[in-house]
Amino acid sequence: MRPENYQAISHPPSNEYELNFGPNHPGIEGNYALKVKLHGDVVVAARADGGYLHRGFEKLMEGRLWIQNIALVPRICVPDPVPMEVCYSMAVEVLNDMEVPERAQWLRVLQLELSRIAAHLFTFGGHAATTGMYTTMYWGVADRDQILDLFEEWTGGRVYHIYNIPGGVRRDMPAGFLDRVSCTMDYIESRLPDYDNLFFTNQVFVDRARDTGPMNQQQALEWGVTGPNLRATGLAFDVRRDDPYLVYDQIDFDIPTEAPGDAWARTLVRRQELKQSIHIVRQVVEKLPSVSGPVRTQIPNPLAWNVPAGETYTRVESSKGELGYYVVSDGGDKPHRVHVRGPSSMHAVQVLEQLAVGARLEDVAQIMFSLDACPPEVDR
Amino acid sequence: MSKTVTPWLDNLLQEIEGVEIRRKDSRRVRIDIAADSLPTLLELLRGRAGYVHLSAITCVDWIDESQFELVYQLWSYESQSLVSAHIRIAREPGVYVSVFDLYQPAAFFERDIHEMFGVYFEGSPDMSKFILTEWNGPPPMRKEFDAEAWVNETFEWKEYQPDWLKEITEQGGGIVKTPEEARQKKP
Repeated sequence: MRPENYQAISHPPSNEYELNFGPNHPGIEGNYALKVKLHGDVVVAARADGGYLHRGFEKLMEGRLWIQNIALVPRICVPDPVPMEVCYSMAVEVLNDMEVPERAQWLRVLQLELSRIAAHLFTFGGHAATTGMYTTMYWGVADRDQILDLFEEWTGGRVYHIYNIPGGVRRDMPAGFLDRVSCTMDYIESRLPDYDNLFFTNQVFVDRARDTGPMNQQQALEWGVTGPNLRATGLAFDVRRDDPYLVYDQIDFDIPTEAPGDAWARTLVRRQELKQSIHIVRQVVEKLPSVSGPVRTQIPNPLAWNVPAGETYTRVESSKGELGYYVVSDGGDKPHRVHVRGPSSMHAVQVLEQLAVGARLEDVAQIMFSLDACPPEVDR
Repeated sequence: MSKTVTPWLDNLLQEIEGVEIRRKDSRRVRIDIAADSLPTLLELLRGRAGYVHLSAITCVDWIDESQFELVYQLWSYESQSLVSAHIRIAREPGVYVSVFDLYQPAAFFERDIHEMFGVYFEGSPDMSKFILTEWNGPPPMRKEFDAEAWVNETFEWKEYQPDWLKEITEQGGGIVKTPEEARQKKP
């Protein structure tokens, strides 16, 4: 700028103020906080503040036997614990060069998909609640309970199953269980039109979620966004298909995408994934009776199990995105290092900080729920 | 483009010296490289090979060798393969450069590693505390930090005997069997 063009700007007195959003706030997912700076009711800056759920999992795992950590890992993500178990078990299996029996792989897929359905019902119920539609949330939680009932019968645990272990799964299903899975799937599928009527085509939801917290595909790739949030920007990427694990390469399913990348698109992708997951569960139910054999391979004495030295990075598609475990063994009976890469470590921190800017205060909770941010994955 | 890691990756890597490549399977490649060359490698991988997604940065403490290992997991949506780049840096002073200008997700991982291991990343946008805001001790993920010993030094074991429980116990209720008693086998 030339000196003659320079004009001093007199700044008006600031109308900005700061507000703590969380950690105890009905609009925040879990114990997490956002420090937002507002002008009127428009967010001009946001800063994530974590640590309220830090339990030191990675350090604890270094002090426990390989098999003991199985009871620890599902607690890292409460709404969707199965991917944690499977991912950790897969990492230990890679280090041991261990084959998992085919039946166990199908059982794991069944667990993963049931967990995905439960997590999605929870998430879009939460999103509905942030737009004032509490009925959808009550329905979502009640229908999720049907899945938890299945888990309880199958594994003994409603939320934390501790069912997947290195080498396979702990035990087979109870008799007649697949019939009950089918019944529950029929029930949940019959509920989907109700959800559409109540929530997804509801003008309140559409008007509020459209153009709220938008990101385009390039931004999503820059910010390390994965999972349904990435697919809501139009990129059909899914670890299950593009970096397959277990028996997902034998299963037929579509990868739903939406183009706009806003809160509406992100939640709509989850709605479509529900249908795909039900479709996958049905295929597993059909396939399982023809797959016989053991459900786990023989593992050494778990109390004196020295895993060969090595390192591996395994990842699965959780309901929130790419979940990765980097596990290092130094040849001892305990892990040398376990690093958990939760998808929310991107979504709940950098992405949320960027998307909240420009939004109105009442939409911040909606953005967080549409990103399906899971704070315990961030804090670990 | 092929769905597996193709020879062009090898050609690309020949441009950098001191690279050791190991193929784990058709989708996984491990690259060990000198710490100085890592930014160049990442620039090539991102700019010319399509590895646009930084999946994770992990720090591993090798206390016996007095080194930190930093592992960068890079995914290519085009070739659908994962490259893990491994470098070693000296444990003291534990300083490395940030790769934030290439990969924005690095900001979170570098901040986390700084907090947990004390490795400082020059050029990273934010090295302030995130999770352990009220912690003034040493970086806890370092191997020399013994969490159990710290707990035993800092806190003391207390017997759990609140008044309300005493009242119940006097009436014959409450904890009738201690865990130690419960574990003992019946004669």
